[in-house]
Amino acid sequence: MTLSENLFENLRLELRRGCLTLAALAQLRQEHYGYSLRKALAERGLEIDESTLYPLLRRLEAQGLLTSEWREEDKRNKRFYRLSSDGEQIFGQLLQEWRAINTSIDNIL
Amino acid sequence: MELLDRYLQAVKKHLPWQRQDDIIAELRANLEAQLEDKEAALGRPLTVGEAEDWLRQIGPPMRVAARYQPQKYLIGPAVFPTYLLVLRLACFWATIAYLIGSAAQIAAQTPSWAAVSEAVLRVPGVLMIAAAWVTLTFAAIEFTATHYPAKCPAFARVSADWTPGTLPPMETEAAGGKKPRSFAHAVAEVVFGSLFLGWWLLVPRHPYLLIGPGVLYWHSSPFQLAPVLILFYWWVVVVNVVQLVWRSTDLIRGSWPRPRTAQNMVISAIGLIPLAILLSVPNHAFVLLRNPGLDQARYGAALTSINLSIQWSAIVICAITILQLLFGSGRMILDSYRKRAAAMR
Repeated sequence: MTLSENLFENLRLELRRGCLTLAALAQLRQEHYGYSLRKALAERGLEIDESTLYPLLRRLEAQGLLTSEWREEDKRNKRFYRLSSDGEQIFGQLLQEWRAINTSIDNIL
Repeated sequence: MELLDRYLQAVKKHLPWQRQDDIIAELRANLEAQLEDKEAALGRPLTVGEAEDWLRQIGPPMRVAARYQPQKYLIGPAVFPTYLLVLRLACFWATIAYLIGSAAQIAAQTPSWAAVSEAVLRVPGVLMIAAAWVTLTFAAIEFTATHYPAKCPAFARVSADWTPGTLPPMETEAAGGKKPRSFAHAVAEVVFGSLFLGWWLLVPRHPYLLIGPGVLYWHSSPFQLAPVLILFYWWVVVVNVVQLVWRSTDLIRGSWPRPRTAQNMVISAIGLIPLAILLSVPNHAFVLLRNPGLDQARYGAALTSINLSIQWSAIVICAITILQLLFGSGRMILDSYRKRAAAMR
């Protein structure tokens, strides 16, 4: 990887980091387990690595933005996540912020 | 699938023990569901090569496990700038203290090049010990600040109490458009100043440090130094001590990048004192004959020549110093005029 490619990759990851949290919160207005969430996001055009998404879910839960429960589905125990009431509130604020940034960037461009 | 089991086992080893079973159970459920999807799409089980490619794409077990842990620092970003400053100062002062101590020890014993080189070779060890202590101390501060924030509010308070009024004054560019002195430059000045002072203090006891093998000739020569040169010697010590203390203070206070016109002028002015002492010696008798009655006829001409050389050297150095003082004064006056003119605009 050349220096400029490396720089681009770092900046791209930095740009994506906050967006992934917002996308995961948005998608978890409906209940999902890790893999089904990953598939749902991929179907909407947002591919996320397993090693990024699954730990992210744990962090968001530890921060009180998600709730989770273990449940059996297709003969397999899975951990299902959903937006908590705090998470809904924070998600609303983040969405507002996202739209404001989007509008500003559009205006700048 | 055996490969997946081995992969999960490897991930588990790098997870915190309190949460590892829970995380592995969840990760297994997710990866098995993904594997089922892949096999359903292919209509057959994955080959070993395909399974290896899939797990390689997920990532090395240690990296995957690391993502489940919060970011950890030995010394975090809040403490790091202070750590760096203290580390630099500790390394610097440890070296100075060690060099002075070693010089004194060597001077007290029979000096030898072996002792000097041994002392110099120990400097990296001294630096590493100083750096290790500072690092350990700051790692302990970081740990306390992270785990017991109520017991270590100092760093948080520093940020909270900060006001723009505490900012240092503007670092004006040195005259002539020169860049401000760098930290390395300032450190080098103090290090070489200390080395020079140590060397100069050793000269009376070990004159070979000044004139090398000539010391053998000097001891058997008919000449001796006049007592006034002892006074001159101690004034040179005073000038260097003043300069070293001043520069060290600048370094400790962090004011080394500021222009030093006034400081240099004061040191130059003090430097005129030993020169004035030399030039005021009656008949310029810096060097005398041990036995004037016996040796005057034979060595009188050589003695006059030596004393004249010293006198002219002193005159030249004195003239250069006075010119430096005049140049410095002119620059200060010009800077002051520029500042006043800028203030009036």
